[in-house]
Amino acid sequence: MDRPEDNILDENLAKKKLQAVLAGDDPAAVELLWDYYAGDLFAYLQAVLRSRHDAEDVLQTVFVRIVGKRHRLANARCLDAYVFRIARNEAVRFASRRKKGRTVEVKSESWLMAKESQAEPSDLAEQLQVALARLPRRQREVIVMKVYRQKTFSDIARLLGLSVNTVASRYRYGIEKLRTLLRDITP
Amino acid sequence: MSEKNAEKRGIEDLLRKARLSEPPPDVKQRITAVARKAWNQAPLELSWTIPFRRLAVSAAAAVFIIWLANYGSDYMLARWSSGAMRLANQQPTNVETLPEMPYSLFARRLAGLDRRSFVLDASALNKHIELLRRALAELLQSDVAKPPAPAGGRSRVILNPPRAKSCVQNV
Repeated sequence: MDRPEDNILDENLAKKKLQAVLAGDDPAAVELLWDYYAGDLFAYLQAVLRSRHDAEDVLQTVFVRIVGKRHRLANARCLDAYVFRIARNEAVRFASRRKKGRTVEVKSESWLMAKESQAEPSDLAEQLQVALARLPRRQREVIVMKVYRQKTFSDIARLLGLSVNTVASRYRYGIEKLRTLLRDITP
Repeated sequence: MSEKNAEKRGIEDLLRKARLSEPPPDVKQRITAVARKAWNQAPLELSWTIPFRRLAVSAAAAVFIIWLANYGSDYMLARWSSGAMRLANQQPTNVETLPEMPYSLFARRLAGLDRRSFVLDASALNKHIELLRRALAELLQSDVAKPPAPAGGRSRVILNPPRAKSCVQNV
């Protein structure tokens, strides 16, 4: 889902509106939060967890957590960073619990899909997914946000609370690794 | 460099041939319903309580840190004082067996004084210093403390030593 706003001014206005609704304790803020963050958060969680079902579960936890902290969100200086920090904490907690429990291993479910227009859909998506899954988490999340959510480096830096240089270097290293991993299928 | 950029672009193009799945509508319904429920269950937290809670937590942390510092300090002091007492209890080398030294009487007197009591006690330290002072005064009054007079009743210090003849004078 695309964001309802297209430019920075509109984004700022939307954020102000969202924070006003949160401060007013209006449950309609849940819808606004969903429209504004669900797509990015879902992509981010899939990148971290490498599982669509886990991402859905954690997304629910994240929304509940956001609702619980709405008074802080209403006064937050950087709303995006706050929301993504909650998502990252929840995802890392979930991943460590999954690792510790070893009840559910990361299944080879497809969280990356082929575009409808592609002739050879599933194979390529599968290979890309395997290659992405072999990257370190920090590099993978930057690449996913940049390539699949069309975020700029400064956007990603703001969301993840990093410097632009860090984000750019993570992206560069990640692409380098992907080049090695995907050597056979790159033209 | 341009080759690297081309390779990077190739990887990016390849990645863009796939897409990420979006959250399905049923997931949206489920999550927003749960979130609304959570919204209604948890009333808005009063914002003025937050600084008070932070203050309480900070105070508790400060009390804990001070207690920890005191505890550590007491522990270290106890260890140190036991070591110091042990050192004080140790008798020094027998002054009788020492080779002859100046002011040996005073040294013996010092050895005879009780040095244990002033390790931790300021008043005992004062008392000890007073004893030392008294012992020193007694010794100064006695003959033994006086330094031996130089031979011939003259000072050994030569105030104006005769200058060596300069070679320049002969020139």
